[in-house]
Amino acid sequence: MEINIYTTPDCSMCKAAKAFLAAHNLPFTEHDVSASRQAAAEMLAKTRERKLPVIDIGGELVIGFDQDRLEELLGL
Amino acid sequence: MEQPVREPDVLILGGGPAGLTAAIYAARAKLAVTLLETVTAGGQLRDTVAIENYPGFQSVTGEELAGRMAEQAKRLGAEIIGFSPVLSVSLAAGVKTVQTKKASYRPKAVIIATGAVPKKLPIPNEAKFAGRGIHYCATCDGALYENSVVGVVGGGNSALEEALFLTNFASKVIMIRRRGYFNGAASTFEAVMNHPKIEVLFHRDLLDVSGGDSVESALVVDTRTGEKTGIALSAVFGYIGTEPKTALFRRDIALDEQGYILTDETLRTNVPGVFAAGDVRVKAVRQITTAVADGTVAALNAEKYIKQGQNMAGA
Repeated sequence: MEINIYTTPDCSMCKAAKAFLAAHNLPFTEHDVSASRQAAAEMLAKTRERKLPVIDIGGELVIGFDQDRLEELLGL
Repeated sequence: MEQPVREPDVLILGGGPAGLTAAIYAARAKLAVTLLETVTAGGQLRDTVAIENYPGFQSVTGEELAGRMAEQAKRLGAEIIGFSPVLSVSLAAGVKTVQTKKASYRPKAVIIATGAVPKKLPIPNEAKFAGRGIHYCATCDGALYENSVVGVVGGGNSALEEALFLTNFASKVIMIRRRGYFNGAASTFEAVMNHPKIEVLFHRDLLDVSGGDSVESALVVDTRTGEKTGIALSAVFGYIGTEPKTALFRRDIALDEQGYILTDETLRTNVPGVFAAGDVRVKAVRQITTAVADGTVAALNAEKYIKQGQNMAGA
């Protein structure tokens, strides 16, 4: 399952989400929306929410670090 | 499913500076210490970009300071378990139990250091626009408002510092302040007042926000005249104080009207063997330095409590 995560560098919940994925050995692609306008546009095309991180798990979106939802979608 | 039962001497709930310091002191006292953290160590520190009032550091990021504290606690033997939100507690009667998804804890003493979270803005459209123009973490979401006009509501250090941080992205930052003064540090206040991108609206209170998919304008009222004005902006960041994370403890632990935990000078709560430290308890000054002090006091008194229990058991 492809995991894309939209982040900013200082965002603690983005770091928490990345640490959570890493702790479960799940590879992901990170997109820094503060460094790339394209990444920001891509994220905003998927959701109107601007609460980071936004995590795209095979098309299902998780807004913010929501551990229960992540566990549910990832079958953890 | 039968859960594993764990029996540490001290169970610390919360991995902010209070909890991490308590872990350091309790571990140095050779107690078996487990610290449960909802996400990763740091608490509110995690969202603080530059800390300039923690002695010994000219300037340090919250992440680095928290990381150092966690590392120190671990090296001393404390066990820090991340991503372990507490589901339920039973503290008042007999054996103290704390339940997470993965384990059941039965510690001799508990230190509650769960801290506080930003208070939501008390406006009608808060829920409608949360994450779509209503935000509480500038370091998280600020970058999405590049070249936009954003508002900051609040009157303390956090509001001032976050307004300064938002100038990295926003074309203009409008501070909405109910009163005619700020409560923050004089140096930060000066930086805000002198910043070309920041406009301060004193004596204004935020009534509501409106827009389509996301926030497009704010309605503010002049607290002296009652005159209402609309302001075009794309987001409002709220820093109007915090509320304690004590919902789980309401049944067992004595709280004040705002939900903060009541303690005495030794940081005992109303329940023997349960202590509270840091922002979660009733106190006058909530700083990293005071959280650290609380962690110290709570851990040393938890140690005393445990040793007294052992003496009595041995007698």
